[in-house]
Amino acid sequence: MEDWRRIDIDAFDPDSGRLTAEDLKPPYASSVSLQELEPKISQLRSAATSGDFLNALQILTTDPPYSADETTKNQYFHAVLGVLTQVRQADITNLVKQLSPKQTDVLVKYLYKGMSVPEGQKQGGMLLSWFEKVTQLSGVGPVVRYLSDRNTV
Amino acid sequence: MSNSIVANLKLAKAPIYSHCFSQDRSLVAVTLNSDCLVFKLTPGGKPALVATLPDHDKTVTAVDISIHGRIVTCSQDRNAIVWEPLSDGTYKPTLVLLRINRAATCVQWAPSGYKFAVGSSARIIAVCYYEQENDWWVSKHIKKPIKSTINCVSWHDNGIMLACGGTDGYVRAFSGFVKGLDSRDQVANSPWAEKFPFGALIREWYHGAWIHDVQWRSSQEKLAYVAHDGSFNVVDPSDHVSTTFSPEGLPLMALVWINDHEALCGGFSCHPVLFGEGASGWQFSKNIDKDIAPSTPASASTGDDDDEGNAPFGMSALKKFKELDLKGKVSAQVQESTHENAIVELAPYSVTAGNVTEVSSCGLDGKIVIYRV
Repeated sequence: MEDWRRIDIDAFDPDSGRLTAEDLKPPYASSVSLQELEPKISQLRSAATSGDFLNALQILTTDPPYSADETTKNQYFHAVLGVLTQVRQADITNLVKQLSPKQTDVLVKYLYKGMSVPEGQKQGGMLLSWFEKVTQLSGVGPVVRYLSDRNTV
Repeated sequence: MSNSIVANLKLAKAPIYSHCFSQDRSLVAVTLNSDCLVFKLTPGGKPALVATLPDHDKTVTAVDISIHGRIVTCSQDRNAIVWEPLSDGTYKPTLVLLRINRAATCVQWAPSGYKFAVGSSARIIAVCYYEQENDWWVSKHIKKPIKSTINCVSWHDNGIMLACGGTDGYVRAFSGFVKGLDSRDQVANSPWAEKFPFGALIREWYHGAWIHDVQWRSSQEKLAYVAHDGSFNVVDPSDHVSTTFSPEGLPLMALVWINDHEALCGGFSCHPVLFGEGASGWQFSKNIDKDIAPSTPASASTGDDDDEGNAPFGMSALKKFKELDLKGKVSAQVQESTHENAIVELAPYSVTAGNVTEVSSCGLDGKIVIYRV
């Protein structure tokens, strides 16, 4: 007998209006391009090289490019990862303390993003220690908000 | 148990997804698996089971009682049933054909008691009303532009505007105007829209996370909703959204307005949370039924990261296992709140002059709890 549980019933119903990933995308007014992000990326790089990590962290957690496409987001993430991995472990707690709740939420999104891509996984220990410090300070709130937010970084 | 608890009824060994008290508060209907149970409450006595409404054959997801005492239930079997109370205490069921191909998730009677709305996973809200000529409940569909499962519906006091929220992250307000049942006078001077043809989208707000509950404050023309990201939000006709987050950061599942400037929310933290509107907008105001203050994240950040007793995250499980190992005890965990699992629905229990003084709740632990606010 045919395994009826595996029958895709929506395929037989033209009105089913199958839900696509596109349907669940937040309604952005416009999309940010890589050119528009270049200044921000170079700002991030220069702040990181001059050792001004608080400034770099403020930049990367403020107004992240939610509406950009995947490639742009990945490019931008490289700069973000650069900043996150250069910070000394001992300084993390102090830096995270100076972020607003909204900025902390964005930071957690980048930590998860980092753990999901191969470049980030190479720095997994670093990302985990960021994560540890953030959850010690802010609890599970930013994690719950990361899981339920459709604005991805 | 803290002094904010009026009653704590353990009615079932399975989750109660929805409950509803009758107008005079003498009966309570609760969902239990594929049945709906009706209990009679006597002051001081134990709740007595007076009726079992058995006709559904899949999980009953929601129940509501109209001002006339009619019970409506909806279920994952894609049907709704209206239960007419008879004089001998039994109920006469009438099946309502919703014409949906997925589970019904939520139901609410309009304030008039002559129609109700059912939300579903089929991306449809069915507005159902009784047709005298055919002796039949008919359902009309609201489809566009719903993109995903509807989790909650709420009627405005005018009986025409219907708010809904769902897993597509949108809160929407539709018109549920039924010809022959409603009149235009009900929405005269409404700040939300000029015309209200059936099924018209009046407003929509994008939130992003799953919306778990919406409630109107009709006298103030405001709409509040809670979402899976733990946010509590209030919108007004000028589309101004005020957002604030639950103190523990856990998802909120239910909400109820207390008065024009306060609302009570419940969710995964197992105890209700009160939000209030002050000079600086909506803010967390207090926890209810939470006796033991656990070490807050702020107090744990004293710098000594190695002290596991202070770590608020991930350590309780380890501690639990250590205790199990050393003492052979399962857990030394203290019950912090009356509900032992998530609160999934809140409803006003006692109202004086527009202010709610007592709120009833049901939870996944099979309890009905009544809180004093």
